[in-house]
Amino acid sequence: MPEKPTRRIVLRPLQAGLTAPQGTALRDLLFAQGVEFPCGGQGRCRGCRIRVLDGTAEVNAAQRERLSAVELADGWRLACQCSLGDNLVIELRQWDAAILADDTPFAFQPRAGFGVAVDLGTTTLVAQLLDLSAGRVLAVRTSLNSQARFGADVMSRVRFAVAEGGHNQLREMIRLQIGSLIEQLVSAAQAPGAEVQDVVLVGNTVMHHLFCGLDVEPLSHYPFESGQLGLQTFTAGQLGWKLEGNPRVRFLPCLGGFVGSDILAGILATNLGERENLNALVDLGTNGEIVIGNRERLLCASTAAGPAFEGARISMGMRASTGAISEVKVEGQEIHCHVLGNVPPQGLCGSGLVDAVAAGLELGRIQASGRFSDGAGAWALSPPVALTQGDIRELQLAKGAIAAGIRMLLERCGASARDLERLYLAGAFGNYINRASAQRIGLISLPSEKVEAAGNTALRGAKLALFALDGEDGSYARLRSRIEHVALNAAPGFQEIFVEELAFPQGTYA
Amino acid sequence: MTLFEELQQAIIDGKAPVAKELTERMLKEGVRPAEFFPKAIIPAMDEVGRRMRECEFFIPEVLIAARAARGATDILRPLLVGDESIRPVGTVVCGTVKGDLHDIGKNIVAMMLESAGFRIVDLGVDVAPEKIIEAVRQHQANIVAMSALLTTTMVNMKAVIEALAAAGLRDKVKVLVGGAPVTDTWAHSIGADGYGKDAPAAVELARQLAAA
Repeated sequence: MPEKPTRRIVLRPLQAGLTAPQGTALRDLLFAQGVEFPCGGQGRCRGCRIRVLDGTAEVNAAQRERLSAVELADGWRLACQCSLGDNLVIELRQWDAAILADDTPFAFQPRAGFGVAVDLGTTTLVAQLLDLSAGRVLAVRTSLNSQARFGADVMSRVRFAVAEGGHNQLREMIRLQIGSLIEQLVSAAQAPGAEVQDVVLVGNTVMHHLFCGLDVEPLSHYPFESGQLGLQTFTAGQLGWKLEGNPRVRFLPCLGGFVGSDILAGILATNLGERENLNALVDLGTNGEIVIGNRERLLCASTAAGPAFEGARISMGMRASTGAISEVKVEGQEIHCHVLGNVPPQGLCGSGLVDAVAAGLELGRIQASGRFSDGAGAWALSPPVALTQGDIRELQLAKGAIAAGIRMLLERCGASARDLERLYLAGAFGNYINRASAQRIGLISLPSEKVEAAGNTALRGAKLALFALDGEDGSYARLRSRIEHVALNAAPGFQEIFVEELAFPQGTYA
Repeated sequence: MTLFEELQQAIIDGKAPVAKELTERMLKEGVRPAEFFPKAIIPAMDEVGRRMRECEFFIPEVLIAARAARGATDILRPLLVGDESIRPVGTVVCGTVKGDLHDIGKNIVAMMLESAGFRIVDLGVDVAPEKIIEAVRQHQANIVAMSALLTTTMVNMKAVIEALAAAGLRDKVKVLVGGAPVTDTWAHSIGADGYGKDAPAAVELARQLAAA
């Protein structure tokens, strides 16, 4: 059989060149390069768009639906819908993921041996090897979650597992990937005979179920409840991991259909359940998770914020990478934009979006309703990057969902924002977002000094679990029994509060 | 400004008390109930739809405008019972599909259809196919409008269309679908009659389907 001719593809701005047989799907080629396919390569979003600078790539109906005639004429394509028919030079619209590890000091009870803590995120993976006798991090490895080629968000993964029979494939690929991260950690630590005693994983409920091989079908529809939220314990051998001494591997328990062990770990890391005063933990993502409580009571919930904070569905949205406007500051009546990487601006990332809208409110360009005061459709921030009326609407949906979730939980506690001692923002976005801007747009109705970027609390909580006291098997039965999961979607009054929270606060905060 | 124009403005501005007051005043002055729809309510909600499409209006503005329109229609409906000159444009059975609880979009579509003169049978959220079949039969509906906000639940739209076919009702109703993950291609692939990209598009489509 004659071999298929090969074709060459050059990826800009990286200038990486690859060759592959003619007809290879770009989805496969680009995924191997770390490009994400938010809708799972279904042609339903614009997340994987590429611009063909040289060569030709086919246009099909799905692309005509998602891309305008002008975009198509400019060479924009959806990578998931194209194959390598021709030699190509393309430009990628995506970023290199900024992955947040954790090096915060923490209190621990020394124990012998080594342990591994893993934060299994929908997008990114972080694994740390620890010397348990000294509580010291010996090595860290990060990676993009290899399941991402089947969808960027949890619901796309669930759909792939359930509707396309991809369950086993997703399970095997994530086990393989994490096993290989751990092997790399052990060899990187250069500690001969370093025997891993214990591995602790945390992640959202879908990641938990997929890794542990549990049925995700109950998580695909209302009421989004699974009967299998508990602690899952394996040996390394059962997962196909060849580790010295065949250590125990535990995936910490989840709290609800959309509130996973990453949030349980966050509660451990911030000690939310042991404090006298009321504190809050908020993880801003496509699914925003919120915990509010003290030593008396703990409430948790998830709220569908959508992808605006990640720069998705924003007309010139992009991730926090080179070329992104990441900050917008008001100076007199002017604005000043900070662009990552000292290059001309190409787009707007989540933190820049929040800043831009806060600046617009401050300057009176944007009204409390979210409308541009001058009735224009867009505001040129730093040409060619502009903020459109539609972008503001997307941000309103995201901030409305989070703000309404926080308000509902506070009301359930019989408290208000004033009663909070502190609000911890977990995750990468919580580190980048300007707290004053978050307050200005009404995402968080708390003065900046009470808001704290808490970093990767999921990973920190997983590390604490490695040092759990004797007798604690990681099921956290006592803590979990105190946590009340509130299903916001079904809660009476939530829709009304959400609609109220879509507006921006009036007035200025000097 | 005529009173009809004032009423239109009150609805667009979302002033429910003003809309109610104007409606009552106009009725006293001898305006026939049937005149309100073509001369005030329908054009007002068309304008709301236009502004929504241009992102000038957002969910809260649309909801309060629809509430104001309802202020007027609640007064008018009882007066229109038995008035053959103002038959509903069509009867729409609507709901969010099984497994899904999102209803803001569906509510907006329902309210806009209602202001456009349709009779609405809103089955709420998490609606099983059987409930839709039952409602179509009971109300002799000519349109079924379904919404789904999750990629995992939009497949249930197909189940409804299949159930309609199995019940022998598929040629009696037109099926309209919408929601964030839904596309025109998907609508075609499951055999729906139309896809509403947004609420104004859904209203326009319903008008066409009802007239066909």
